[in-house]
Amino acid sequence: MTTIEKAPSQALAEPPRGRLAALAPYTSVLRIVGGVLTLVGAFLPWATFVLNDGPYPEGATLEFFSEPFGVSGFRLHLVLLGLASIVVALVPVAAKGRIVRGFGWGVIAISIVNGLYITVEGGGFGAITASDGTAAFGAFVALVGGVVLVVGATAGGIDPPTHWDLKLGRVVEWLILLVAYAIVLLLVAAVLTSGGQGGAANPFSGAVFLSFLGAVGGAIAGLHASGLLGWIARMSERHRIYSVIVLLLAALALPLTSAGTEYWMTVAANIGVYAATAIGLNIVVGLAGLLDLGYVAFLGIGAFVAANLSGAAASVVGIELPFPLVLVIAAVVAGCFGAVVGSPTLRVRGDYLAIVTLAFGEIFVRSAQNNIGGLTGGSNSIPNIPPVELFGKGFNESVTIGALNLPSGVLYYVLIVLIVAAVMWVFGNLKNSRLGRAWIAIREDEDAARAMGIRTGPIKILAFLIGAMLAGFAGAFFAHKLGTASYESFRFLESVTLLAAVILGGMGTIPGAVLGASVLFVLPEKLREFADYRLLLFGLALVLIMRFRPQGLVPDAHRRAELAPESEAPPDHPDDGPAGGTTVKAAAT
Amino acid sequence: MSGRHARPDMNGTGNESDVTTAIPMVAGGSASGSTILQASGVTMQFGGLRALNDVSFGLSEGEIIGLIGPNGAGKTTLFNCLTGLYAPTSGAVSLRGNPMPQDPARVTEQGVARTFQNIRLFPSMTAAENVMVGRHVRMKQSPLSSLLHGPSFRRSEAEAAERTEKLLAFVGLSQFAGELARNLPYGDQRRLEIARALATDPAVLLLDEPTAGMNAQETEATRQLIFAIRDLGISVVVIEHDTKFIFTLCDRVLVLVQGELLVEGSPDEVRGDPRVVEAYLGAPPDEVDAQIHAAEDEGENHR
Ligand SMILES: Nc1ncnc2c1ncn2[C@@H]1O[C@H](COP(=O)(O)OP(=O)(O)OP(=O)(O)O)[C@@H](O)[C@H]1O
Ligand SMILES: [Mg+2]
Repeated sequence: MTTIEKAPSQALAEPPRGRLAALAPYTSVLRIVGGVLTLVGAFLPWATFVLNDGPYPEGATLEFFSEPFGVSGFRLHLVLLGLASIVVALVPVAAKGRIVRGFGWGVIAISIVNGLYITVEGGGFGAITASDGTAAFGAFVALVGGVVLVVGATAGGIDPPTHWDLKLGRVVEWLILLVAYAIVLLLVAAVLTSGGQGGAANPFSGAVFLSFLGAVGGAIAGLHASGLLGWIARMSERHRIYSVIVLLLAALALPLTSAGTEYWMTVAANIGVYAATAIGLNIVVGLAGLLDLGYVAFLGIGAFVAANLSGAAASVVGIELPFPLVLVIAAVVAGCFGAVVGSPTLRVRGDYLAIVTLAFGEIFVRSAQNNIGGLTGGSNSIPNIPPVELFGKGFNESVTIGALNLPSGVLYYVLIVLIVAAVMWVFGNLKNSRLGRAWIAIREDEDAARAMGIRTGPIKILAFLIGAMLAGFAGAFFAHKLGTASYESFRFLESVTLLAAVILGGMGTIPGAVLGASVLFVLPEKLREFADYRLLLFGLALVLIMRFRPQGLVPDAHRRAELAPESEAPPDHPDDGPAGGTTVKAAAT
Repeated sequence: MSGRHARPDMNGTGNESDVTTAIPMVAGGSASGSTILQASGVTMQFGGLRALNDVSFGLSEGEIIGLIGPNGAGKTTLFNCLTGLYAPTSGAVSLRGNPMPQDPARVTEQGVARTFQNIRLFPSMTAAENVMVGRHVRMKQSPLSSLLHGPSFRRSEAEAAERTEKLLAFVGLSQFAGELARNLPYGDQRRLEIARALATDPAVLLLDEPTAGMNAQETEATRQLIFAIRDLGISVVVIEHDTKFIFTLCDRVLVLVQGELLVEGSPDEVRGDPRVVEAYLGAPPDEVDAQIHAAEDEGENHR
């Protein structure tokens, strides 16, 4: 492999800002006080009622806190974060400020969710007062604790995350990575299942989920600051192949965790479909910098091709082909459409291209809605697509291996994991090749790319073609998994969400696209309970992420340097900014 | 060795004894080889503005030509016509007797590379990746091999990486290989652009104000770099406002004024030519340099 390594860029310590600088001498005290307040907040309801033998007030005994007197759930998270903050404040470690700041934000997130929830559900604002609802009061004390933590952390200056240079023997590193990935697996399962399925069974699932997300986020931020995560990331970089294998195995092991039920397997498979599609879109948008607003159409084309070749009663084609062949055909057909949609890129750039793709997406949905050529079933959709069958085993059946009983949906989950892995492999290999560099060059500066001998036309069309093929691939799976193919799954909103997944996750990276897709398709699922506020919260989450992490959740090493708030402003650079394909550039002067 | 074949060795597998094998070519001398690039009667009309009027000149193998003229004279426009970015309204450009393709990418393929007046690097790629992009035209990788990463893919990547390393060393940027282009100092960005252009194995290199914004020391380094490039057998055309730089660097100087090729000749001939003096605001010869420097500063401010 001859990929070019990038030296770790040296972020400078962020000096304490403005008025906070005055607090600098008290940082340690503030951090301890914040930690203590957090603990007080966590224990306040317990202290008030249990110590006084008092009854737990009606408004606060939400089912959400099914164990009001135990230190579990959100209370446990607060206790852990508070204790950790105090320990970090007292123990000599590097990048204290950054670590505590991460914990502090976690505390704030948990407290806000809980405080708001108890206040709103537990009897209005009056619930805050000590007599009416000390549980809520506790949440607000903890909120103050979180704020004090963040202030105390920031006042002392934010150092860059610690860089560990520790290298261990190969076997030891392998073991550490194994443990790390096992923890990742458990964490993924925990986040996925936190709050339960929601609905009537648990009306508090959304709040529990958000609160848990706050705890996980705070802990991850703290661990990142401590340098542990960076160290593990570099270690997995050193053992690339091993890491890839273990990660794949970990993904395949998800059914063995708490997420191993039919419901969660279905959710995970859906995430997989969108992750694979997002990676395809990432080629077009993230690498080549071509804005595509109608991308979900390719997922739809793949789905309808598969539906028509599945032997479903409603399909006009009426032939049934084996699934692997269907996958390939769906990808090829979608790819052809991709090339057609991409061809205007020869003439239009930037915003204009976005409109062309938007129009294509609309054409596709309208055509599918009107059952064009009888191929899409129109508003009836194409129902009863038979499940994938391999070696006489239907993929919708449950699996029993020895004593192990795996729910139905597991086989689909395994299949989509393999599909996503294949798509990742395609993306990764292309990115690190002559073709991938040409895409990135076009994104950066199309005229300069042409001057470097890149025939931008065919290369851009290739981006569309390959991106569409990957989506078509995922679409074929999607149709079989769902059992129906309907135009309703491929509307404009879906395209926008996919695009948001790519941008939110981090343009041009694989983990970014997967994480972005997960967030965007899990959040609405989890926030169902907020009913009317669901989209509002969803939008708010997006705005917050883009405000505080413009480079995305898992940014490309390069874009990280470009957009990270920590990095210094670049030296006086000519006005051609990061092209991103959205500006129409004048010809070279 | 006989003749000055300015055609680079496409395989990049020359002997690796010294740095110059970064661009493995037959060493060239000063001017007087056969004509490699020829512009005949190039005219470029932008609406009512005639930016170039009937410009003709020839570039010999191994020659360094300087192109000077006041702001707005049409120098950059001429480069754009030579590299296929603009299609001349009339006139023709030929490379080794063949008509120049009307497509920048194919022009580069044919062996004409350029840099830009306002630096056009790929800002969020590293210095090394920028140069790797320059290897694009000389690398053989089908989309399929890009996907599969087989042995031939690895070989071509290794070759490109090796060339990149040598080219960065050649322009003196080895220590910045992993740095993002946007984070390089201004002068180094210009040098990186040259390295990227050299990566395309050009026979002709067009440099648009390569020393703009550089201090005296960097300018001198750039002069040495251009000589070194010429010694590799590459013919060079340099646009520059700094006339001292041009007169001490070039074998021949072209003076472009309002789209017309006013004077053409050796540095000494051009320096003493009254028409040049007049074109630069009618000042006596001694003041010409000063005037031009003033113009250069102004040009800086405009950017
Ligand atoms: N694409 C274009 N469309 C319209 N006019 C143009 C275009 N490109 C250049 N011109 C005009 O052509 C003339 C010559 O411009 P050019 O950039 O070639 O000058 P130059 O000699 O490179 O000047 P400088 O020394 O400032 O770089 C100018 O008047 C400019 O405005
Ligand atoms: Mg110019």
